[in-house]
Amino acid sequence: MGADRNRGIDKHLPLRRVEFHILLSLAAGERHGYGIIQDIEARGDTSVPDVGTMYRALARMVEDGLIEAAARRPAPDRGDERRNCYRITSAGMRIARAEARRLELLMRAARLGGLLPKGVK
Amino acid sequence: MMRNRMLNLSERWFRLLQRLYPPDFRDEMGNAAVEAYIDRARDALKTGGRIRLIALWVRAFVDSLRNGPAERVRPAAWWRRAGNWGRDIELVRRRLVRSPIFAATTIGTLTIGLGMFAVVYTAVQKVLIDPMPYKEPGDLYYVWRDYGPIRDVKRGTLDGTDILELQKTNTVIQDAAGMQPFLGGVFSLWEGAEPIEIAVTRTSPNLFDLLGVAPALGRSFAPDEIGRAREQVIVLTHHLWNRLGADPGIVGRDVRLQGRPFTVIGVLPPDFTFVRNDVAAPPQRVAAYIPLAVNLAEPNWRGGYSGLIRARRGASPGAVAAAVDLVGRAIDARDFNSRGLKLYSVGLKADVISRIRPALIVLGAAGLVLVFMLMLNLASVLIARAAQREHEVAVSRALGANTIAIVRSTLLEGGLLGLAGGALAALAAIWGTRALVALAPLDLPRREAIAIDWRIAAAVMAVGGLLGVVAAAAPAAWGARASLSSLLAGSAVRGGGGQSRWRRGLIVAQVALSLVLLSSGALVMRSFERLLRADPGFQSDGVFTVRVLMPYELFPQMSDRIAFQDRLQGALAAIPGVTGASAASALPLTAPAIQSTITIPGAPGNTGDPERDQLPTDIIAVRANYVEVMGMRLIAGRTFTEFRQNGVTEAMIDTAIARRFFPDGNAIGATIRWAERSYTIIGVVQQARLYEIHADGRPQMLVRAEPGPLFYVMRTTREPHSLLPEVQSAVHHINPRLSVGDPRSMDDIVQASLSPQAIGGTLISAFAVGALLLSSMGLFGVVSGSVTRRRHELAVRLALGADHRHVLRLVLKEGALLVMAGLLIGAPGIYIANRLIRGLLVSVSPSDPLSLLVAALGLLLVTMAACYVPARRALRIDPAQLLRHE
Repeated sequence: MGADRNRGIDKHLPLRRVEFHILLSLAAGERHGYGIIQDIEARGDTSVPDVGTMYRALARMVEDGLIEAAARRPAPDRGDERRNCYRITSAGMRIARAEARRLELLMRAARLGGLLPKGVK
Repeated sequence: MMRNRMLNLSERWFRLLQRLYPPDFRDEMGNAAVEAYIDRARDALKTGGRIRLIALWVRAFVDSLRNGPAERVRPAAWWRRAGNWGRDIELVRRRLVRSPIFAATTIGTLTIGLGMFAVVYTAVQKVLIDPMPYKEPGDLYYVWRDYGPIRDVKRGTLDGTDILELQKTNTVIQDAAGMQPFLGGVFSLWEGAEPIEIAVTRTSPNLFDLLGVAPALGRSFAPDEIGRAREQVIVLTHHLWNRLGADPGIVGRDVRLQGRPFTVIGVLPPDFTFVRNDVAAPPQRVAAYIPLAVNLAEPNWRGGYSGLIRARRGASPGAVAAAVDLVGRAIDARDFNSRGLKLYSVGLKADVISRIRPALIVLGAAGLVLVFMLMLNLASVLIARAAQREHEVAVSRALGANTIAIVRSTLLEGGLLGLAGGALAALAAIWGTRALVALAPLDLPRREAIAIDWRIAAAVMAVGGLLGVVAAAAPAAWGARASLSSLLAGSAVRGGGGQSRWRRGLIVAQVALSLVLLSSGALVMRSFERLLRADPGFQSDGVFTVRVLMPYELFPQMSDRIAFQDRLQGALAAIPGVTGASAASALPLTAPAIQSTITIPGAPGNTGDPERDQLPTDIIAVRANYVEVMGMRLIAGRTFTEFRQNGVTEAMIDTAIARRFFPDGNAIGATIRWAERSYTIIGVVQQARLYEIHADGRPQMLVRAEPGPLFYVMRTTREPHSLLPEVQSAVHHINPRLSVGDPRSMDDIVQASLSPQAIGGTLISAFAVGALLLSSMGLFGVVSGSVTRRRHELAVRLALGADHRHVLRLVLKEGALLVMAGLLIGAPGIYIANRLIRGLLVSVSPSDPLSLLVAALGLLLVTMAACYVPARRALRIDPAQLLRHE
């Protein structure tokens, strides 16, 4: 069972950048598409994905069960407008964590290998 | 205000860009994506004004240009995008369930047709195409001698020395084996056990190595296990081993063959089948193998050998033929004074299946034609169905249903129907092939291999599915063009729609193909009927035969055997209802007789060349009264008398020998030499054919019964099989340890010998009748549709004074034109088909006018009946009512 789950996770790794960003945003709570983009911008990533790229990623991740559509709800900042919101699933959460760990291990390796300065946080 | 206008403009632009995405993605994500763009647009306007907004538009354009087409070609989505297949299948299923009669008849037709195809395809695949179960079967060849220059034998046996030459040659020929038939061996598991009669092949010891077959138990022959003065060994087939109780400890045991002890050294694997062991007779299955009783170098009174060679791996047939020819020339120079007796090679498989091949090819071709007809039929049925849904299709198209969806659902319907038909057909073929095997003659090569397997079942289903899709292509193409406007236009004129043109074309094609199949069927049936009426040289009705074996142990003395036979013959003749009894060593149309050569020194027909004057002859040992009981025709002289005089050996000859040696017609009294003995000719008879019912075999000589395994024959006024209990009690009365085997009437034997033709004829006729039914169904549909469609026009005609007969003729003419067109187009097809079936026909010309006429007239009659039934509905049209109603 555990091995099965790991294999299920490994199948998704590594995540594409846009996918990791999406999971990261949704891990903090439900978001609609533009909300996610705003999150990414706020994180200061050098390239913010285009709307089309992001929605294609969203569609695929819904298919794969990493995220799911949440009930439509009013956008907090725009009165009565209703949006498509998404929330992360437990599988999505596990995969996001696994990806983060994978990145961390890679970072550590890079430091040990002298690619990045050691001890810099 | 301005801001809102800019935002509205943006939204329209973003929505427009969404067109670049595939529709299903648009449905799912489009609104949300547009919203996200608008959000961005708002921010852009807020922070950077119009310049930023226009930059965003450009960016959105580039984005959509990149992602839209990318999403369209994503393979995983492509299938899903092509529509909701699950829903489509469900819709098709519902449509079919809603018209159960349509579904049942269509699938039923497909099942029967494809089932027949599946059975024939299985037989063709297993017999003709699949490799034989030996190692590198393509490198195995038979070698025969063409005796052409000295006698009328194209396919003759080899001498032992020839086999040795073939073994010695250092060319592409790797090894050679010689075989001889030894049919009717009396076998028992131990001394005194119930004897059974088995067929045995004598062979040189290397046969199994040459075939690349290792025994499942024990060993095969050692190279020195040949010739006299050695321990007698025997290898059993798996089949015989099973029959004896499948005892794994049998290896090393002594068994009896002809009363002599043989040690079992091996049991062959279950899939081992080897059928050819004789030149003239059809391939015979054997139950056991024993080594040759003489060395290949010694002369062998049993006659020649069948030669089997293995070529080096991958040697071309041409190279093998050349090597065999080379050996043949050397032998010709050494043994035959270079008179041009050639050796030639025939591929093992080609040889084994040569008799059945033409029939299977014809059946395979007929099966393909039938499949094609099924397709045409399904196409016309689906077109008719599409015509019924014309409204639905046109309306849904007008409401925006996309063309692809309509085409897809039509194709899906055809494909599903075909698939269902194919699956059921594969299922039906399980029993069909079993029935075929049960009916098939025992000597059908590779008979045991005929069974449907997964590969064939899958292929049949694929053929069904493909057939369905192709058949649905026409209605799909037509449905794609259906539109409301054309529908309205069509209903205004009430002329024939596009669909009826399609259907007419299909009908013409079906009639044409039916004609081809029917004419082939008629020819094959006529040939079969000729066979049934053929004179085999004896009268089969009212003759009962049994085999009574005389185990060597029970009758060691020749005089005992003769005395037993005399008593039994008398007892059988005394059974009430039996008018005469006799016995023979070989019954007509069954086991081959002794094959030997005779000479008639001093006969006027001799040429003076000693080689030429040896006549290959079948020798049959019979008892007195045989000619009378079998109903053979005595041409001259007399038959054997009841009592044999000591020191006088008599023989009867057939007309072929008489003609050959006594052109002046005076054979009686002459002396025949056979096997170092002399026989006086006392009578000339018409030969009772041993091999084929329609053609004389080798010349025959009947001699007084030499004691041996004998078939007893009785002519009776009763039902032949009802004699069996009395025959058994008669035998047991004389000797309770004897058994009565193989009870058959001569009619059974005749029937068995006709069974290949019977099966072939039945299958081809079934195909032809199937084709006829299919085209009749099609015509029925077209004419009935035409009456419905034209009822308005017909009503007007009636109202204007045409009488009903005229209207009926009008409708019938439509069908008749289609039939005539089909007949005209089909006529050339007959000649193509005739080339194929020529090999199947016996004493019928492939252009036999009577058969062809019958086929064409039959087709015309049945199809016109299929037109007439629906056309009669035109008579019931009441113009006043119909026109008022309109």
